[in-house]
Amino acid sequence: MSLIEVDSVSKAFRIPSVRRDTVREHFFGMLQPRKFQRLQVLDTVSLTLRRGEALGIMGRNGSGKSTLLKIVSGVYAPDQGRVNVLAPITPILELGVGWNPELDAIDNVLLIGSVMGLSLREIRRDMDEILAFAELERFANLKLKHYSSGMSERLGYAVAFKAVREVLVLDEIFAVGDAGFKARCEQRYWELRRLGHSAIIVSHNTRIIAEFCDRALLLDSGRVVMDAPAKEVADRYVSSLTEGVA
Amino acid sequence: MMNASAGTDLDSRPVRAIADESSRVHRPALGHAGLIWTLVRTDFKARYHGTFGGFLWALLKPLSMFIVLMGVFSFLFASDPTYKLDLIVGLFLWDFFAEGTKTGLTSLHARGYLLTKARVPCWILVVTSISNAAITLAVFCVVIVVFLTGAGRPPSVASLVAFAAYCVALAAIVVGFALASSGLFLRYRDLNQVWDVVAQAGFFFAPVIYPLGILPERYHIYLYLWPPTPIIEFSRAALVTGVVPSTTANIYLLADAAICLLTGILIFRRLSPRAAEYV
Repeated sequence: MSLIEVDSVSKAFRIPSVRRDTVREHFFGMLQPRKFQRLQVLDTVSLTLRRGEALGIMGRNGSGKSTLLKIVSGVYAPDQGRVNVLAPITPILELGVGWNPELDAIDNVLLIGSVMGLSLREIRRDMDEILAFAELERFANLKLKHYSSGMSERLGYAVAFKAVREVLVLDEIFAVGDAGFKARCEQRYWELRRLGHSAIIVSHNTRIIAEFCDRALLLDSGRVVMDAPAKEVADRYVSSLTEGVA
Repeated sequence: MMNASAGTDLDSRPVRAIADESSRVHRPALGHAGLIWTLVRTDFKARYHGTFGGFLWALLKPLSMFIVLMGVFSFLFASDPTYKLDLIVGLFLWDFFAEGTKTGLTSLHARGYLLTKARVPCWILVVTSISNAAITLAVFCVVIVVFLTGAGRPPSVASLVAFAAYCVALAAIVVGFALASSGLFLRYRDLNQVWDVVAQAGFFFAPVIYPLGILPERYHIYLYLWPPTPIIEFSRAALVTGVVPSTTANIYLLADAAICLLTGILIFRRLSPRAAEYV
């Protein structure tokens, strides 16, 4: 059974020749019309994630991986095509979740957990485990603005791994924390897989894609150029880097 | 199939079609009760340092403003026996309008850290951003009633009901403005400065510190075009004078609030699907 179906999704951004972000800039620039360049980030991309499957996505910088994840997660809207998501998602995009620096860890976990669709009761029930997983029990009442970047990233991954819903969507998995934390994340990932969770993982790391995914896509210039078993895609990605063409 | 240690049950939410943009606006609010409560609570906590003393401290600004204005202008309008009562009603309603529109305008940008990391209904981020201003208004409503009672003019039940309706209408106007401006602010990052100037002028355009009667009647229609003016005047009539405005006047007021809210919703529906791309 498919949990996520992406059907011929396209996405483009209009890049202006001169960036204008204020009323003042628009007003004084009225007589100097701008030119817009169309940047096609995704071009009729299709994918399917089946229940219990882990799908890897590889590609060079600018190939559209992060945009695809944001569309799947519902952050961006596609210009064309259709995305059907039949299961709740826990997305960890751009190396973490969003934090309010003026709130402590507990309130931030409640906030991001409820944004991800968990009930407050579920989050409170899992709070101790989340803080323990991130090894931040002693700093639970400390405002996030006093956290180091590593601490806040660990907390984000702890939310993803302990308060997970059915599908994990992970951008650059296991790129956070020391060796011990990475090992715990990997161990937890396999636990989740055994319990039947599905995952979409974006990474440049061929070991992670080959080891942690069943199947993978290779993106190049916004198009899917390969959809095959993860090991084959990882090998093709490495060879494309050396050849210069994906 | 479920993770026992995490203990999260797979919910049975309906199929989501991301391409269907209307679903971003029309999901039932009750389904997001936990998110709404958390946003309101954490907003309060972050703003007032999580203490009731911090909240009381924040009330001092409009209260001190009232004392200063009353001290200065009650001499100027000494012939008006209800001036102080009119001032407190007008000033606290204006404070809600000014504070609510100011925080609403920057709400999507301020909560961009949520917008770009997960699928979240944008309208909740905007509407909950005015919760602090609404809580302050609720406290000031009690202050107004106490002040009126102390002045020997306790409001009747009908007056209080009418005043509550006017507060709801004002909230609708503020929400409409916040919805429209929050999306625009992501594209025009100095819109808050523009609004500061407009709000400053609007404070004097609305009859907050002066009685509307000092202006020639032919100009009143223009002042009534500024949304806070009818709210303030109608509230004064109901609470201070004890006369609830006519049904026709109330229908006009409701239409005014509905137009502001609907305009805000329409603009928001157009801008919000791409909001995350501009954060």
